[in-house]
Amino acid sequence: MKISYVILFSFLMILLLFAATTYINFKQSEKINENHELLARSSIILKQSNRFQRNILNMVSGLRGYLLTNEVFFIQSYDSAMLENDEILDELSVLIKDSVQQKNLLEGISELNKYWINEFALPLIEARKNATASDSSMNAFNKLYRAKLVTGMEKEINRSLQKKFKEFSNHEYAVREQQKLALSSFIQRTKNISFSLTLFSFIAGMAIAIFIATHISSGIVKMVHMADSISKGEYTVSMEAEGKDELGKLGRSLNNMARILSENISLLQRKNDELNQFAYIVSHDLKAPLRGIDNVVTWIQEDHLHELSPKVVEYLELIKGRIIRAENLLNGILSYSRVGRELQPNEVVDVNELLEEVQGYLPEKPGITLHIEKNMPKLFTEKLPLMQVFMNLIVNAYKYHTKANGSVQVYHTKNDHYYEFYVEDDGPGISKEYHKKIFMIFQTLENRDSFESTGVGLAIVKKILDDRKLTIRLNSEPGTGSTFIFTWPLNEIV
Amino acid sequence: MRVINILLVEDDNLDVIDVKRTLDKMAIVYNMKVAKNGEEAIRLLHDKRDSFTVKPDVIILDLNMPKMNGLELLQILRSSEDWKDIKIFILTTSEENEDKQAAKQYGISGYIVKPLKFNNTGSLDAFNLMIDLMNMQN
Repeated sequence: MKISYVILFSFLMILLLFAATTYINFKQSEKINENHELLARSSIILKQSNRFQRNILNMVSGLRGYLLTNEVFFIQSYDSAMLENDEILDELSVLIKDSVQQKNLLEGISELNKYWINEFALPLIEARKNATASDSSMNAFNKLYRAKLVTGMEKEINRSLQKKFKEFSNHEYAVREQQKLALSSFIQRTKNISFSLTLFSFIAGMAIAIFIATHISSGIVKMVHMADSISKGEYTVSMEAEGKDELGKLGRSLNNMARILSENISLLQRKNDELNQFAYIVSHDLKAPLRGIDNVVTWIQEDHLHELSPKVVEYLELIKGRIIRAENLLNGILSYSRVGRELQPNEVVDVNELLEEVQGYLPEKPGITLHIEKNMPKLFTEKLPLMQVFMNLIVNAYKYHTKANGSVQVYHTKNDHYYEFYVEDDGPGISKEYHKKIFMIFQTLENRDSFESTGVGLAIVKKILDDRKLTIRLNSEPGTGSTFIFTWPLNEIV
Repeated sequence: MRVINILLVEDDNLDVIDVKRTLDKMAIVYNMKVAKNGEEAIRLLHDKRDSFTVKPDVIILDLNMPKMNGLELLQILRSSEDWKDIKIFILTTSEENEDKQAAKQYGISGYIVKPLKFNNTGSLDAFNLMIDLMNMQN
């Protein structure tokens, strides 16, 4: 799967988990609100039922007062309590509409109340009203009053009412308690769920982050290793690249690139080797006929000189000169093609001793002196290539020196990465436009007829340094002398 | 003094002239047959009608030849009892040291370096040996 899909999918999953957590918390607050409303309603119900009971007491005492004193004031108190109770009943029936049990109780209460009013209070009030005019009516009232009391009906009604009210409030309290329990268990559950969800999204997020980080980083580390190997010259490297994700694709592209690179490099190496071999064979085989021509010319000169005209003798000399030049060129190609690509084994090289050896091979040139720095380093390196570089540079400095008195100086500097060796002369100097050209094979700045040089020395120097990824540069202007500076690896022996 | 019989095995005409010219200069009196390669040399050695070449005194042998090269011919010559006492000189260019080394194990009498120069001690020794041979009484 693509890494971008994994990232997208992971974020979506975490978002979904958080959305679920939020939704659950929202539901919980809704539930709490609902419960709050329920409690508020329940409080009103209880309050109104208490008022109802108080009103009944007011009605009873109003009725008693009226019956004893015949004051209208008491009837008014009785009436207002009765009217209020009607309203309370309406209100309560609305509030408790959900509960069948409460409805039944409330209907019972309402009925008992009505029964008390119709069967007990109203007849007595009527009788008391009529008892004002005559004794007989007073007697009738007294008689009725006693009769009503004797039956104990009022007591019975009151007890029933009290009992129903008790049940009514008890039920309300029970409902409240139940609600409270349900709510607290709901809150606990919500807490658990939202904690689990949060924990789960945290763990999932961490796991995804770790997966992506390690996966990407290990892939990148592999690629870095591979690129490092390639830059060190190991072209036949490859890496595991099996995944279908972007890293896998990149890995396969890298493998492909390395393979093509390696093919091209080995092709290049093969071509280069072929070219070297070709140069060697051609120059070697050309030497035989050239030597034959030289032989014949020599025989003519040695055995038949007296038979020749002076012109022929002169032309034969010209032939000899051209033969020598051709032989020099062939020798140049031979030695250039012999500069091996293979590295020589390292050995202990005292550069001062090496330069003394070079000095022994130098052509005699009066007036030119060689100054070698006393403290050249001791190295563990390839001796022959280093010697050849020094030799060709110093020989050139000698060969092309035009002044009667001159000097060639050899010294060095050192930095963190390599040595720099200097071969400096106070000879004629080289114009800037030729600074590149002189390192190419068979390029000489001298007229061929005036100077025997093959133009191979600097090409060999360049080849030796190029093969080892080292560099050479030239500081020179006509008239100021030349300084060749080349780098060499830091394999110093302390 | 006698005339020495020389079989020169050499494919390059120029080198043949070179050898002859040097022999003349050294005042060596010789009778020479030239074979262009190893096979021809063997054929000449087997030809009974030929007066001298049945058994030459000296064979001068170029190592670098087409068909049968000098080393192969050396092997054949040295494995036969008939030709065992023939003096063999190797004709070589100074660079071809490997061939020279390989030839030494077959018991050669010396080598001559091409092109022929009198300042070459190896070549000089070879010609002096031939002069000794010429001066030897039968």
